[in-house]
Amino acid sequence: MKPADQKRAVVEVVARVLHDKTKDPNRLEPLIFDTLYEERRRLETEKDRKKAKSEARLYRRLQASALRGGTEQQREVLGELIRHFAEEVLGHFSEPIYRLATQVVPVGLNLLLNTLSPLHLLKAVRTGFSKLDDQILIEGETECFRDLAKRGTVILVPTHCSNLDSPLIGYVLHRIGLPPFLYGAGLNLFHNKIIGFFMDHLGAYKVDRKKTAPLYRDVLKAYAGYSMELGYHNLFFPGGTRSRSGEVETKLKLGLLGMGLNAYIRNLQCEKESPDIFVVPCTLNYQLVLEAETLIEDYLKEVGRSRYIIEDDESTQVKRILEFLTGLFSLDSRIHVVFSQPLDVFGNPVDAAGNSYDRRGRLIDRKKYVAQAGRYHFDEQRDSQYTQELGDSVLQFYRRDTVIGSVQVVARVIWSWLKQTNPAFDLYRLLRTGGSQSSLALTEAYRRLQELIRSLKVLQAKKKIRLDSSLDSDDPVALLADALAHLKSYHRHPVIERKGDRIFHYDRQLILYYQNRLPEIEVAA
Amino acid sequence: MKTARKTQALVVGGGSFGTALASLLAKNGKPTLLWVRREAQARAINRKHVNADYFPALKLPESLVATSDIAAAVSEAPVLFMAVPSKSFREVARQIGNYLTGEQILIHATKGIEPGTFKRMSEILREETCALKIGAISGPNLAEELMKGFPAGATVASHFDEVVSQAQALYAGSPLRLYGARDVIGTEIGGAFKNIIALMSGAAHGLGFGDNTKALIVTRGLSEMTRYGVALGADPVTFSGLAGIGDLMATCTSPLSRNFKTGNRFARGEKLGDILASSNQVVEGIPTTIAVYQQAKSMGLQLPMVRAVHGAFQEGKKVKELLATLMGRPTGREAERLQTWG
Repeated sequence: MKPADQKRAVVEVVARVLHDKTKDPNRLEPLIFDTLYEERRRLETEKDRKKAKSEARLYRRLQASALRGGTEQQREVLGELIRHFAEEVLGHFSEPIYRLATQVVPVGLNLLLNTLSPLHLLKAVRTGFSKLDDQILIEGETECFRDLAKRGTVILVPTHCSNLDSPLIGYVLHRIGLPPFLYGAGLNLFHNKIIGFFMDHLGAYKVDRKKTAPLYRDVLKAYAGYSMELGYHNLFFPGGTRSRSGEVETKLKLGLLGMGLNAYIRNLQCEKESPDIFVVPCTLNYQLVLEAETLIEDYLKEVGRSRYIIEDDESTQVKRILEFLTGLFSLDSRIHVVFSQPLDVFGNPVDAAGNSYDRRGRLIDRKKYVAQAGRYHFDEQRDSQYTQELGDSVLQFYRRDTVIGSVQVVARVIWSWLKQTNPAFDLYRLLRTGGSQSSLALTEAYRRLQELIRSLKVLQAKKKIRLDSSLDSDDPVALLADALAHLKSYHRHPVIERKGDRIFHYDRQLILYYQNRLPEIEVAA
Repeated sequence: MKTARKTQALVVGGGSFGTALASLLAKNGKPTLLWVRREAQARAINRKHVNADYFPALKLPESLVATSDIAAAVSEAPVLFMAVPSKSFREVARQIGNYLTGEQILIHATKGIEPGTFKRMSEILREETCALKIGAISGPNLAEELMKGFPAGATVASHFDEVVSQAQALYAGSPLRLYGARDVIGTEIGGAFKNIIALMSGAAHGLGFGDNTKALIVTRGLSEMTRYGVALGADPVTFSGLAGIGDLMATCTSPLSRNFKTGNRFARGEKLGDILASSNQVVEGIPTTIAVYQQAKSMGLQLPMVRAVHGAFQEGKKVKELLATLMGRPTGREAERLQTWG
């Protein structure tokens, strides 16, 4: 964000949040004290003691002031709290770094990713680093996405399974000729030696996810919305956090997504020349996931109560990242980045010229959705429902544009066999014991693989799913070999192994994790 | 087709229910258009103020304007009520979709499920139009009673509060009281499913059974309705309202109900084809039974009464024997079965 915009953003964000929160004077006092309470609790575990002391001082002063004063003084206190949050969020955004990012960093990013594989480096010197381009495949509606980014503001909403997702997106945006997108990244990512380096250069501003006060989230949302109005493209992961189970997102957090509609209505009200906001769903598809072991472990520990912030997973260990990337490069593994059908803020498909269409392909005047008697207006309940519609459309494209590779297919075959041969076992018992048989016959595995490939190809023909080229042929032998080679290239403990004419299962948690990426298709016994 | 004042509502479909809805609106002082397929029918309504096909003896309000020009009608109205049979619902929805804008509100009053796709009418509207502000209206609303101005009530459900409040405002002060809800699925399922139960209740009546039997059918029918609805994502509470038990009470006992009448005549020995041919009204329970039966089967849901109705009306089985089979089923504890919707 340009320095001038940044200053305007603080003023505007404070004004908007304050206006919104002071509509009901009776809510003022509880809001201040609840926020201060949440913040004090957070400070108890804040590692940066100097910062904690300074913030604690501020909060004490604000509390005393709020206790003494009447409504007007409380309003001022609330304004100060909002400003404190807003300045913190925007203060982390570095304009010089953002500018640098658009010119210099992508080259360095390419270089760095390439050099993570020594073999690759040698090749890269000869080929001019073209290999990475071969391994990171950019698919889908790229042209349309690029065109729309010139016509209006784009919100890119990818699936999320790894901390490598944001560097990957940064690299891909550069490759298709777009500048970095504004991105609210968790502070923990900046502490990470490798990923933090990239984050600083991806247009990211820091979000302290330990700040749980709703007021802080309101500030973040207002900032995202205002930046959209100013024409800054945004990136966020609407799943909220990395998928713990390995499944493609089936639920989205709609708060930030809804800011697109908010910005659109404001743009219309201001009669902006380019009021449009477009939403581009995107799927990020790896054969293996860097943090798979930690994520599924966390998911299974407390299904539904998993940790929101994980600070000690594989993505924090440089060695693990190197192992992961080296494995991928040595296997010529492909990472698919699929840009889905771009949408308007109501979930309707949009073409490269920015026109919206209904499901029968008829042109829509999308402004009408927010119009009444020729005026554009907000309606909280209506708008939340529109955002729900948008979320549903995004989810549909997530499923449709997920790319399935050999690892996921083989994992599904083994997992469905495990379930079928042990019908009386619950999930945890099956994971722990592996059921009554430690292996299945190779011929049976091949038969099941062939059947699953057939079903997946039917779905692919109906455009309900995408398949990696490792599934191009129907050869189960090659497919199994590819999957086993991948799993062996990175995971420390055996996951699935072939011994003679049998296939043995070892790490059933990872088998569950990888097979979760597939839609519901059972493999007949 | 010009109305003196700005049109406030369009009712799409000049059948019995569409005519009743439009008539109530016009009587309530809301400038209303009624779209009918045939121009001659529109002309006749405008000239004589009677819908001779459905209510030859009842006068329509003079302010009600009928038209067959769908483009002009759709473009004019801020709120549209769709009241066309489920069989032609998709086709008409696609037609109005050519002229609709996102500003408009679209509420349907069709109690059916699309055979083959198992889609609810609101889902069809979403597929065939650009409308997002969609709602469903359902309840014990026998068209003839509405036409006579008898007090009645219905549920109007939408995810959009604006849809509910607009519908309520249009009918406020009329004999039709509209209660709001968010559960679109439950409201639609209630309206569609009760027609199946009405067929069975009518059949029991035709066999000479009494009110005890009908009450049993209605109550167990409600249980099946709830089980089916919940499996599709409905809120069970919806079925205790007008769109559930309310509609069951009217449809499963009234001689004015076409589904009840069909069941009654069928059990007395008339052929289904003859019954349908002799009626100028659509018996929605017949296609709905096929759709629900197939869908329940694919979902592994146990719906004994639906199975029995399907057996009677589609497979040629004897109603009396099917009722006997139902009576022979294990009973268990009613409260537990209700709690688990079993």
